[in-house]
Amino acid sequence: MRSVSEVRLTPVICPFCGFGCKLYVRSIDGVPAGIEFYDKGGVNEGKLCPKGVAAVDFLRHPERLRKPLRRVGERGEGRFKEISWSEAIKEVATRLKEIKKVFGAESVGFLSSARCTNEENYLMQKLARLYGSGNIDHCARLCHSATVAGLIKCLGAGAQSSPFTDILKTRVILVWGYNPAETHPLLMRYVLKAKDLGAKLIVVDPRRTRTARFADIHLQIRPGTDIALANAMMNVIISNDLYDRDFIVRRTEGFEELKKLVMKYTPKYAEEVTGVTAALIDEAARTFASAGRGVIMWAMGLTQHTVGTYNVVALADLALLCGYVGREGCGVYPMRGQNNVQGACDMGALVEFLPGYRPAAAEEKRKEVAKLWGVDELPEPGLTVVEMVNEAGSGRIKAMYIMGENPVVSDPNTSHVIKALNNLEFLVVQDIFLTETAAYADIVLPAAAYAEKEGSLTSSERRVQWSFKAAEPPGEARPDWVILSSVARELGLKGFNYSSPEDILREINAVVPQYRGITPERLKSSPEGVFWPCPSEGHPGTMRLYEERFLTCNGKAKLVGVEHREPAEKPDREYPLILTTVRVVGQYHTLTMTGRSLSLVRRWPEPYVEVNPEDARRYGVSDGDEVYVVTRRGRYKCKVKVTSSIREGVVAIPWHWGANILTIDALDPTCKIPEYKVCACRIERVGGG
Amino acid sequence: MGKKIILIDLSRCIGCRACEVACEKFNGASKITVFELEDVLTMPLNCRHCEKAPCISICPTDALYTDEDGAVLLSPLKCIGCMMCAIVCPFGIPEFDELNKVMMKCDLCRDRRAMGLLPACVATCPTDALVYGDVNEVLPRKREYVAQKAIILSKEVGDVLLK
Repeated sequence: MRSVSEVRLTPVICPFCGFGCKLYVRSIDGVPAGIEFYDKGGVNEGKLCPKGVAAVDFLRHPERLRKPLRRVGERGEGRFKEISWSEAIKEVATRLKEIKKVFGAESVGFLSSARCTNEENYLMQKLARLYGSGNIDHCARLCHSATVAGLIKCLGAGAQSSPFTDILKTRVILVWGYNPAETHPLLMRYVLKAKDLGAKLIVVDPRRTRTARFADIHLQIRPGTDIALANAMMNVIISNDLYDRDFIVRRTEGFEELKKLVMKYTPKYAEEVTGVTAALIDEAARTFASAGRGVIMWAMGLTQHTVGTYNVVALADLALLCGYVGREGCGVYPMRGQNNVQGACDMGALVEFLPGYRPAAAEEKRKEVAKLWGVDELPEPGLTVVEMVNEAGSGRIKAMYIMGENPVVSDPNTSHVIKALNNLEFLVVQDIFLTETAAYADIVLPAAAYAEKEGSLTSSERRVQWSFKAAEPPGEARPDWVILSSVARELGLKGFNYSSPEDILREINAVVPQYRGITPERLKSSPEGVFWPCPSEGHPGTMRLYEERFLTCNGKAKLVGVEHREPAEKPDREYPLILTTVRVVGQYHTLTMTGRSLSLVRRWPEPYVEVNPEDARRYGVSDGDEVYVVTRRGRYKCKVKVTSSIREGVVAIPWHWGANILTIDALDPTCKIPEYKVCACRIERVGGG
Repeated sequence: MGKKIILIDLSRCIGCRACEVACEKFNGASKITVFELEDVLTMPLNCRHCEKAPCISICPTDALYTDEDGAVLLSPLKCIGCMMCAIVCPFGIPEFDELNKVMMKCDLCRDRRAMGLLPACVATCPTDALVYGDVNEVLPRKREYVAQKAIILSKEVGDVLLK
């Protein structure tokens, strides 16, 4: 007998970047069969980038994890045996308890995931902290920790200040260290519409990226000289009296100190440091400051430096100087790379913050949250992502619980990470595939992917949206919130009796002040989502921050002058080139998802190194040649792509395929972000010569 | 009903190839290709569904025909795989389907149009570099858009001159 198949269109949030696109997953009897374009609005107005169109490809991939696994081979070898869920949960809890008894809870590190829901991130940090470990972090450390630290210093909060719709009302867009045409194609929809209405586009990037092709002014700087450029632009703005005097007086402090500092940075001086002509710096500064309304957007090209925090501070200064914050058509836009990296930060999956950005170092804040969770105290802040890995190497961290992250590929200096993971007593990895990192795990827990569970996610613009369940998970895979609750209960922790993501969100409503009014009922019935802060259920949500006051103690923004400092590793005779890492539009991060889509792999199959024609001639390589790119940390084989779009003296590799074997793990002292964007390298032809 | 077209706006293409992937997802293989003039511009190209389509004129078995929207369609049952259409097409659009020994080409997403949906490449294009619609609406809108930009530009120039 044949029954009629049930075809359903379910609205979900795209599992990739942080733009917050909505799409439908088309499922037939609970099996994902394709996508359809969303027809009820949303930030993307139904449109999708190539990754979004291919978003269901990996869901039923044969390599999906379907049962819990116990390692039987050597670490990294990839030999595992299937075990039952009860066995797996029991073993995880037993080992974690033993390790706590012998070495203390602070010897265990927890990594949460920017690709899991708010509910799951909330549970992960709650589990870590109630277990007694302050070592809870996630990959925001590797992308926008500099933004959070820098913006909190200047504006009082680390998030994007305005909605994407403000871009349509702006007169100038300054895009810094950021290539939306490849990393957030949907943002280009807004940028090009703004340009249609007369807005100017200024791009700062060492490469003439696809974004830069649309620029009115392109400042092609030497990597790692952002502060010198920003200071010189401020110099021009102040010297020519183009700043917003009224705004400076009413809403900021520290102007005189800033002025004194940037006066040293003449365009002429900046030309020597950055390699951009003084005339172009002058033009860019005048265009930016005289527009009247402006936005600044940045991403990894700005943050992933040992001066990442200061880079962000410099841009915040620039925005404040022109009064481009807290008004229509203005704003600062740190562009987020994961669909819930904003939410994971909001939920407190960060070392230094409890839920709702309560400083974890403050005892009274820890007491406040402890009380809400029904315990006496919570641990002090512990170690960040990169520090956890370092301490695993040195033996202080004995165990790690990693949910939906792949540090073997995503962290800097890969061989160092592998050595550290090998050194652990116990490693649990919870993921949808057997990632490069999971290959080192003792226990692997199979998780449900985005469309196989429901929950809320927070996009770059602080827009909280509900993603519905479209399909069943494969095999015995379970939603992360179910797994985390089981582990926590088995550990004997109190307060993990949740029956649904809605249950958890209701607890979040009570614990996270910014989310107080964002209830599950409200989210599910609102196709456009709700912007936090939303202090009560009747509150419409806050699309634009800082309209009346900044979130600093006295409500005034702080102008903080910062000095230029050279990157940690400079080119020398042995390693004469600067290496920077980039992305391609059709692949995502460590390829766990997009690397399993034929449509994407066919079009974006392999890594390459971009080399300027002059450098190609100098080092005797031509387009298509196989080369080794060599740094002090490793060597990496890929093909040469000769292109005039990259500066002389700089080479660039998309990092998805594992180029972090080359990058340096030098950290920003404030926020501990690694300097992925600058290190010294050389090129060697494969086969010598 | 007038003729429907996909208008390509080269000044908006960011080269993301979402159109290719979408076409592949909805039609099995992509019938649209994004070309890149290295470091300068990117350009999507699909069947232009010509009004005086040489492929229709040359086809010896009448396998090619136009539908009510003006889309040039190919009937695989009539096609004999002689490739005359590919020979006369000025854009090199028709491709050979090795498996079925017939030609294949863009059908402007016939199934999607029948359901009142946009062709997949147009539905996904993040920057509206691909626009679908009645020729008598799409072309005037482009004219208007170009004029609007010219007005904005001349205002800017005027402002500079008046300063």
